[in-house]
Amino acid sequence: MNNLPKKKILIIEDDRSLQNALVEIMGQAGYQVASAFDGEEGILKLAAGKPDLILLDIILPKKDGYEILETIKKGEATKNIPVLILTNLEEIDNVQKALDLGATTFMVKSDFSLKDVLEKVKENLKQ
Amino acid sequence: MLDDLNFIARCKKYNLGLWQCPNFLFLAMGFLTIVAMFGTYLVSKWFDNETVTIVSVSAVGMIIFTVGNFVVRGFEKVAEANIMKSEFISIISHQLCTPLSAVRWNLEILETEANGKISEKQKIFLENVKKSNDKMLKLVSDLLEVVRIDQGRSVFHMENINLVPLAEEIIDDLRHLIKLKDVEVIKKFDANLPQIYIDPKKMKIIMENLISNAVKYSYDGGKVEIKLYPEKKKVLFVVRDWGVGIPRYQHGRIFEKFFRSDNKSRYRTEGVGLGLYLVKAILKHFSGEVWFESEAEKGSTFYVSLPAI
Repeated sequence: MNNLPKKKILIIEDDRSLQNALVEIMGQAGYQVASAFDGEEGILKLAAGKPDLILLDIILPKKDGYEILETIKKGEATKNIPVLILTNLEEIDNVQKALDLGATTFMVKSDFSLKDVLEKVKENLKQ
Repeated sequence: MLDDLNFIARCKKYNLGLWQCPNFLFLAMGFLTIVAMFGTYLVSKWFDNETVTIVSVSAVGMIIFTVGNFVVRGFEKVAEANIMKSEFISIISHQLCTPLSAVRWNLEILETEANGKISEKQKIFLENVKKSNDKMLKLVSDLLEVVRIDQGRSVFHMENINLVPLAEEIIDDLRHLIKLKDVEVIKKFDANLPQIYIDPKKMKIIMENLISNAVKYSYDGGKVEIKLYPEKKKVLFVVRDWGVGIPRYQHGRIFEKFFRSDNKSRYRTEGVGLGLYLVKAILKHFSGEVWFESEAEKGSTFYVSLPAI
């Protein structure tokens, strides 16, 4: 359809079923997708892949979402990448912490359909 | 009153030992205080000696202090159990959120049919899975919202909104239930309704609970009236049904957590008794109010008032 290079999305999510669905829908929408199951793998893929957008869970093995967010925002090359938090921790303290650390937006998995997530991704890649 | 004195039954019900049970400890404390008063009076009368009186008063003080300590411990135990209950609900609900979201998202992938066509018959079954899953998701999200509200950890994204489109959206979301009960929905929405400043997601919980209750507790083929109108500096949201109603003796309890009225046993309806508790708790946060009129077998009218902008 167009010759523009595909936008790259990094999905850091430890639940395999959720990750599979996210990878599939983003792939269907024409994005190039990389995925990681834990915090350390996420940081490795972040360095290797130079994603245009990151979908990030909070509760993760090895390094949690907040630590990853800090790493992203500290890196000169990565600090401007939009980070969309995708979690089920909807308590005010968690939301505030993620936004204070520089997350672009905060989505609660149980409130969002895949279509809604895709819309948010598209919205944030336009800017 | 007599029931209150039956502390053994009470303590057993709460699964607490006697010395951890506030009901018993209060009685023991009261009894001890009376005995101590008389004892001290008698001791001071018989011995007519200051030292003996001071020692006996101190001894009594020590005993009351010790029992008082048990009372405090008893209350702590109850308070801890309450915290544990909230934490338990929170942990279980969080744990349920991930698999339930996974079911929902993976169903969505199947629905895209990008990996193969789904037959019309299969679509019906997939739709059944989706509906059941959505019901569980709603229950879990209500439970989590209750815990968050109780702990003061709920998130509020405030906006200026008009309630008419929101009401229309909710009625549309509930169309399956409305169809199932064959209920006629009468909408009376004021065209010049002022906006209100509220979190739309929380307002949705309020309106959804009241409308779905009205539909659920209507008789099949009945009607439900939904009104939105301004009154003084408020916006009123009113939902009326002509269904099973709430027996008068239970009017004082319907906003309690996990309370379900007796009429529900006669008319089997889904729910765990969180809806109205949530409605009231959320409204408190927005300086709103909720009240109702209801009569068994005749129906109920619920009123919500919120400050207009």
